[in-house]
Amino acid sequence: MNKYLLVAKNTWYETVTYRFNFVMWRIRVVFQMLTVYFLWLAIIPSNGNFLGYTKPLMLTYILGTSFISSITLASRSYGIGEEINNGNLSNFLIKPINYFLYWFAKDMGDKAMNILFSILELTILFLLLHPPIFIQTNILIIFLSLVSAMIALTLYFFFNILLGLIGFWSPEVWAPRFIFIILLNFFAGSLFPLDILPKSVFYFLQALPFTYILYFPLKIYLGQLSQIEIYTGFFISTIWVFILYWLVKIIWAKGLAVYTAYGR
Amino acid sequence: MAISVSHLSKYYQVYQKETGFLGSIKSLIVRKYKEVLAVDDVSFEIDTGELVGFIGPNGAGKTTTLKCLSGLLYPTRGKISVLGFTPYERKKEFLKQISFVMGQKNQLWWDLPALDTLYLNKEIYDIPDNKFHNIVEELSKLLEVKDLLKIQVKKLSLGQRMKCELIAALVHSPKVLFLDEPTIGLDVIMQKKLREFIREYNKSYQATIILTSHYMGDVEELCERVIVVNQGKIIFDGKLSALIKRYAPYKIITVTLEENIDPKRLDRSLEINSFIYPRLVLKVKNENVNDAASKILKNFKTRDLTIEDVNIEDVIRRVYE
Repeated sequence: MNKYLLVAKNTWYETVTYRFNFVMWRIRVVFQMLTVYFLWLAIIPSNGNFLGYTKPLMLTYILGTSFISSITLASRSYGIGEEINNGNLSNFLIKPINYFLYWFAKDMGDKAMNILFSILELTILFLLLHPPIFIQTNILIIFLSLVSAMIALTLYFFFNILLGLIGFWSPEVWAPRFIFIILLNFFAGSLFPLDILPKSVFYFLQALPFTYILYFPLKIYLGQLSQIEIYTGFFISTIWVFILYWLVKIIWAKGLAVYTAYGR
Repeated sequence: MAISVSHLSKYYQVYQKETGFLGSIKSLIVRKYKEVLAVDDVSFEIDTGELVGFIGPNGAGKTTTLKCLSGLLYPTRGKISVLGFTPYERKKEFLKQISFVMGQKNQLWWDLPALDTLYLNKEIYDIPDNKFHNIVEELSKLLEVKDLLKIQVKKLSLGQRMKCELIAALVHSPKVLFLDEPTIGLDVIMQKKLREFIREYNKSYQATIILTSHYMGDVEELCERVIVVNQGKIIFDGKLSALIKRYAPYKIITVTLEENIDPKRLDRSLEINSFIYPRLVLKVKNENVNDAASKILKNFKTRDLTIEDVNIEDVIRRVYE
């Protein structure tokens, strides 16, 4: 078996070891989603719409964020910073292995579990709540939406690495991460669709990478974006992928120089 | 020749950081540096298949040297060649042939059985199935851990874990092995087993091994050649027996007396280490040992008399001072 596939598999087993922890985490995710769900359910009148969103669209958006974030969330690679700090990085530097692919594989292993649970939860909620849901039938649109989710996944992964690489210079890798999580919650659109914000703010946000982590894939799925909007979105998010990749490369090289100079 | 180091120096630029988050941000902008010399103009060569002990007090530069040799640190000055590679380039072919066991850092996956890490290493190092199974079989038999490999690592004792760590570090049969404090925290029995294993491995694989340790027992039992470092400099490089001869050209005579004596009656040439009746411990120059022993036996009523080499720890302490 390929080494990275094996890393993913091991991570899967690791997650199974901490089933209780994992289930608790999923419960948190579900409650968070339900809060937002019921809030919007109450706000939007049954037959009308609110800021351009009918009830089915909004509720699909909210339930969708839960699913998409199970795909995009890099739930393991936050360990990079810690590993740099405690010097365990050394274990990897003396092996013929790509450190980032290793962490990507770990994320994937964890992700597989999260996606599985997310599907399970949504099915249960669907059966219990019978929410009015918008189901996309256009295969091309579903495909584009999945492609954008892959881009989202890459973006999130690079962000996570960058935050971890702070560990080369400071032991405090958590403070910046918290700020990032708060920014992300807001700007990625996990609480509400971003286009209900004032136009000028919304345009500004579209230039940033955050919107492409949740909002963009969902909007494609809902079929609310024109072809041009989709292509522009793909274009901007791809540029961000390259920018972040380039940043990771440079900062990693710099950090490694520091690491191999000082040792740990 | 497996390893050659010439004029290696390593300075650490340690920057002094204020504590707290604000301190971190501040230190990103303005930094106060302090230069620390960890390794100072060190040169040595090690042949293929040698097992060399690297000893020295804490902070002497042992681990730093090993890290330079394995490519974890880049040298400030000097040239290093390991198996013909420059370590800090960390080329794949180089990494595939070395291993570094850090007694205080683990590579095993904590929540999984050690076997899972071994399988992962098999893929990382591209080890063919056959070879892998043979090696794991052999190593686990040598270390008596066959049944332990299927138990979650976190449920193992420190000693058991260390054995599994060793196997994980050796599945790719490295040609050069760096062992940094491999017996740290282990009990005497476990220490002995590990030592036997290391010697066995060295012999059967013709592996070049450098070992650092605080336990002189490790070095005494395993290494014919020792390199003693202190404050970044090599102060001795040669056979362990030569080290003892040079720094401790005397033996210890322990006498158990039958009746109390006045220590002043002893020969002036005998140095008294300690005297608590009935036990008299003397330090005697190598060339005077026979003479001194016979004199004592003749002049005093003794129940027992032993002649021993000095304790290796004492020798080392002497070397540092």
